[in-house]
Amino acid sequence: MRNLLILLLFSSLVTNSQNDLLTEIDTDSTGTEYATAAFKGLKIVNFESTKLVAKKELQFIVSHRFGSIKNGINTFFGLDEAVTRLNFVLGVTDGLNVGVSRSSYLKVYDVSLKYRLLRQEENGFPFTIVGYNSILINTALDKENLPLLEFKHRLGYTAQILISRKVNTDLSLELAPTFFHDNYVVVDAQDNSQFALGFGGRYKLSTRWSLNADYGWHLNRASNSPFKNPLSIGVDLETGGHVFQMHFTNAQPMDANGFLGQGTGDWSDGDIYFGFNLSRQF
Amino acid sequence: MKHLIYLLAFFSLNLVAQSKYITKTGVVNFEASVASFEEVKAMNQSVTAIIETKSGAFAALVLVKGFRFKNALMEEHFNENYAESDQFPKATFKGNLEDFSIDKLSATSIFKMNGSLTFHGKTKKLESIPLKLSREGDFINVSGSFLLNTSDFDIKIPKVVKDKVSETVEVSLNFKLKKT
Repeated sequence: MRNLLILLLFSSLVTNSQNDLLTEIDTDSTGTEYATAAFKGLKIVNFESTKLVAKKELQFIVSHRFGSIKNGINTFFGLDEAVTRLNFVLGVTDGLNVGVSRSSYLKVYDVSLKYRLLRQEENGFPFTIVGYNSILINTALDKENLPLLEFKHRLGYTAQILISRKVNTDLSLELAPTFFHDNYVVVDAQDNSQFALGFGGRYKLSTRWSLNADYGWHLNRASNSPFKNPLSIGVDLETGGHVFQMHFTNAQPMDANGFLGQGTGDWSDGDIYFGFNLSRQF
Repeated sequence: MKHLIYLLAFFSLNLVAQSKYITKTGVVNFEASVASFEEVKAMNQSVTAIIETKSGAFAALVLVKGFRFKNALMEEHFNENYAESDQFPKATFKGNLEDFSIDKLSATSIFKMNGSLTFHGKTKKLESIPLKLSREGDFINVSGSFLLNTSDFDIKIPKVVKDKVSETVEVSLNFKLKKT
């Protein structure tokens, strides 16, 4: 007992003189830490990412997909046939976004809702889960060609669950089970209700550059459908308030129903499109 | 004899305990704004700091992810592109207040602080930083500010934002440390 006490006395004196003040206040966290910035852009390439616009902020995204590069100099590698999508996304809260867009591809308007259900935590829940819904209005359908056309045929719907994981600082992956429905489909044999599974990821090359790719696996495409699953590969460049995303993809449309259901390009033929998404934060 | 040792043991523990002042809610601000551009500044309100009054030793720990900016995008860029807080989650300071004595704290007094600041994996020696200290019952207030250069911490500001983000950063601190 006595020896123990002497030991205690000495050890306390020793620690007193040697103890590093810093180690006494060392702490790792002030509470739950969320994994941040799994993706830089609101989209990976074509698929929505799990990133949301922050509260009271407005993001404007201009996207272009040029025509197929297959026709070479004749269309200046697709520049002559570019389609454009203008998209505004407003952060209602940090976890709820509302967006509107207009695309020159089939003159599609869309209204979308994106909402975060769960966030990836450091040493906690392993995924970020975000829901995405949109309604699309195809205003290009023409009554002269389709005499029985009613307004409802112009409508399409998308419902997506986006599940992402920031594996480490550089690598983030995403899975996107998707249901979409078009009231009018071009191919008769095609079910109006369609299912797809999206895969996406980004790998950071440096603090400002990243390599991105996504792929949409259509699960019930009609056997005689001319359309192809979309595969897209590109890079993100971030500079202050902007994110530039430049990529090659085999789908020219930019909304989910379009690029999943009606992508016509084919990587094996070199029938692909150059495109970019450019976002600006306000 | 046994009692004496008891007494000594407690006394020594007591001494350790009584000479330290700690806070876990210290405030550190920094600002790297350039006039007439959007302000670039952030505040961290959960800084831990400690003073050992016998020796004047001083230490502080800042969790880099705890800095709050006026908008979320700026905060993300700070963590992702500049501070790389996934890799370097902590900023620390370790140093000494010159000629410190608790008895001098009856009125507000200025002490010079020397030590080393570690941030973004780089350590920089700071010398003769004037800090204002005052004592209020069981509390010691510490405040002050100093300038740092981003280059000292290997933080590069890319050309495209060079006009908008200053390479000289003003850091200010405000701690209210409680006797333990």
